[in-house]
Amino acid sequence: MLTELLPGAVLRRLLQGCLPALLCLAIPPSTAQDLDNGEQLFRTLCARCHGILGEGGEGPSLKRARLDHAPDDETLLSVISAGIPGTGMPGARQLSGGDARDVAAYVRSLGQLPEEPVPGDALAGQQIYETIGNCASCHIANGVGTGIGPELTDVGLRRNAAYLRQSVLSPDADQPRVVDRFRGTLNAFLTVRIVTERGAYEGMRINEDAFSVQMRDITGRIYSFEKADLISYEKAFGHSFMPGYSAALNEQQTDDLVSYLMSLKGENR
Amino acid sequence: MRQGSPTVSFLSLFIISFFVGTELLADTSYQALLADEENGADWLSYSGGYRSHRFSPLNQVTPENVNQLKVLWAYQMQPTGINGAGLQETTPLVADDIMYLTESPSSVTALDARTGRMLWHFVPDISNEVLNIGFPRINRGVALVDGSVYVATLDGRLFALDAGTGAVRWQTRVADNAVGFSLTLAPLALDGKIIVGVSGAEAGVRGFVDAYDANSGNRLWRTFTVPAPGEPGSETWQGDAWQTGGGSTWLTGSFDPELDLLYWTTGNPAPDWNGDLRPGDNLFTCSVLALNPDTGELRWHFQYTPHDTHDWDANQIPVLVDGEFNGQQRRLLALANRNAFYYLLDRETGEFLLGEEYSYQTWAERIGDDGRPIVLANTDPTREGNVVWPSLQGATNWFSPSYNPRTEQFFVSNRRMGAMYFKADVDYEPGTPFLGGGEQAFDGDNASGAIVALDVMSGARQWEFELQTPPWSGVMATGGGLVFGSSNEGNFFALDARDGQALWNFNTGAHIRTNPMGFAVDGKQRIAILGGQTLFVFGLE
Ligand code: HEC
Ligand code: HEC
Repeated sequence: MLTELLPGAVLRRLLQGCLPALLCLAIPPSTAQDLDNGEQLFRTLCARCHGILGEGGEGPSLKRARLDHAPDDETLLSVISAGIPGTGMPGARQLSGGDARDVAAYVRSLGQLPEEPVPGDALAGQQIYETIGNCASCHIANGVGTGIGPELTDVGLRRNAAYLRQSVLSPDADQPRVVDRFRGTLNAFLTVRIVTERGAYEGMRINEDAFSVQMRDITGRIYSFEKADLISYEKAFGHSFMPGYSAALNEQQTDDLVSYLMSLKGENR
Repeated sequence: MRQGSPTVSFLSLFIISFFVGTELLADTSYQALLADEENGADWLSYSGGYRSHRFSPLNQVTPENVNQLKVLWAYQMQPTGINGAGLQETTPLVADDIMYLTESPSSVTALDARTGRMLWHFVPDISNEVLNIGFPRINRGVALVDGSVYVATLDGRLFALDAGTGAVRWQTRVADNAVGFSLTLAPLALDGKIIVGVSGAEAGVRGFVDAYDANSGNRLWRTFTVPAPGEPGSETWQGDAWQTGGGSTWLTGSFDPELDLLYWTTGNPAPDWNGDLRPGDNLFTCSVLALNPDTGELRWHFQYTPHDTHDWDANQIPVLVDGEFNGQQRRLLALANRNAFYYLLDRETGEFLLGEEYSYQTWAERIGDDGRPIVLANTDPTREGNVVWPSLQGATNWFSPSYNPRTEQFFVSNRRMGAMYFKADVDYEPGTPFLGGGEQAFDGDNASGAIVALDVMSGARQWEFELQTPPWSGVMATGGGLVFGSSNEGNFFALDARDGQALWNFNTGAHIRTNPMGFAVDGKQRIAILGGQTLFVFGLE
């Protein structure tokens, strides 16, 4: 039936089955065949967000020796099967115990690869962020700025460099998503255009259900509409309120800015 | 339960009699179960009657006054300390002003239906290590007959409790949890018998339906849903695949007392997505079975999805409908299947009568005249992944549809979601997942849901009410002309049964994964829904 969740219980059993043997690891030493299976599953289930080579994208690069949400094998298995609540990491609940372990082993093997160098100079990037970019007028990072777009305090943990480059140069290309295991996934920051008898409104969707829509406009003001009152309601997929910076920044400046964004790893949290 | 004040009590009896007709005492006898459908004051079985209409005949709440509904009381469930417990899928029962509901994973609570105050709470001893392979740690409710409450537990047991106190009368082990069997369904109480089915096809169990003596707990019969070699249907399996063939029976069935037939649905063959490991039609998976309730003997079967490779269990509620089909008065069995088709069968013979698409799907051209789907090429899961609609959670799932016999409307909660299905190798290992693949379902704005109204005889769509995300909750129609439904976003709402217009809604503040039910206290209509961990009871006053 698989109504959806695959259970912590299965994982725990696997873990506990190991208890008598002191040297037994949650992710047992894997064979080449396990790694192949892990890679195959990774490509099917994870690559669309973490890249076909684990280099990242919408999700962070996994070519890192230390994963913040998965410091040990048990948390890695739990992240893989249950996801990270409240973020864009959904988890793959359908993976069976053995398959989850193979994927975990593959993720760990990615961690042994050299991290991708981020071109550019983070300090110079910070300058651009604060001056030409005027990024703080729409983003909060480490407590500073205005929250129109997503908080960037730990964006270097959540995304990879290529994705951040694209976010800066062509923001229309993709919008962040928020995964809620029970309430369903929402494309947050989706541009919506709403007309009621009182006027026309444009902003970013914060939340929506069958009866109402919550929206934030570019000034940060929050609105709540009853769908029954709407004259029209447009979801403008592929439109972002963030300006594209491809004209404003040269190649070097873009590298620097991306380098700065990649250095934002949430240390203040 | 009787109230404290005799005057009020008299009034209550007087008003209840208005709903019940001649029956004055709300009891839990088999006779009362037979009359459950007409008795608006009580709700004595999971689907509100043996025919599983989930229809509350009460008519005080109407399209005109539904906007005055208010919360009269709420009950917050008890944290159990068991890991992973907390999704609530129970349908409460109400008998004689006492409400009985289950809490995840397998506890039972009795409440004063007037106030929500707790009367007793039963917590079976369930280990944190209990296996639940393929589904969350949930329970869908109790059965009630002759003063006992029956609960089937996640670790594979069946308990009989004294309805007055929650004391255990007996318990028996139905199946071995260590190999992946679990019980999550509300049992079905017949005359002196308790019927249960099992979950576990994701662990490669061989499914069955069981009957137990309601008084002693002795097993009366067991009918396997996957035949052993030599038994009828075994020609649809090869080698040893039948031993791990799945066909679980994890949702409450229906009963026709006149035909004396029990209808029970079956789930997917195992492993789920790798059909190469089990060539053939894989009877009696993804089917409905008509059983003799005294012996468990199979009278007829109908297989909705032969050789399923998408995990489209047929564990949906079989709704028993009487009426005129193609000019002929017939006894029918209506079922909106997870595979996106709506079916009508003759429930005396199992004859296939109708199979209509009710939700977008990309796997079958149509259902053939013999009831067999005409499957499109390249729709099986592949190693690289293959996009098919609906997703493995289906166009609908376990949550209940509702049928209004007065208007012949069939209401169903509809999931509109596709998925990338993939296939993988798998070896059977007892007590571990036996899946052979998986899916990546569409999400965000690429998936949605709806409440859909169908003409029960033709399957033709009358209206739909759109939901933001694919729902996990059922519907209930009422004698007042309303349809109650819910959403993942936490809305509990009332639609006008005539046109699907939303007339009222309430934000429960948490995902809703249950079915609405209705009852009356002092003759006043009540409607209950569970959102998150909280049960809300609504009424006009
Ligand atoms: C829909 C996109 C998506 C998919 C699919 C996805 N992930 Fe993620 N993943 C993310 C995002 C976004 C994060 C960062 C979450 C955060 O911290 O905000 C993440 C975080 C992680 C982390 C934690 C990284 C860290 O630095 O701690 C791991 C490990 C991980 N994912 C592994 C996987 C694996 C393995 C799969 C496939 C089974 C997978 N993910 C599938 C989007 C995805
Ligand atoms: C006018 C407001 C505005 C300005 C100015 C702005 N942004 Fe944004 N930004 C947004 C909004 C809105 C989003 C979310 C929608 C989207 O991703 O397109 C966003 C998204 C992003 C993201 C993606 C975050 C994620 O979690 O996926 C990054 C990175 C980002 N901005 C960086 C910057 C940088 C760097 C600058 C300055 C060079 C900047 N932004 C300037 C409004 C702005």
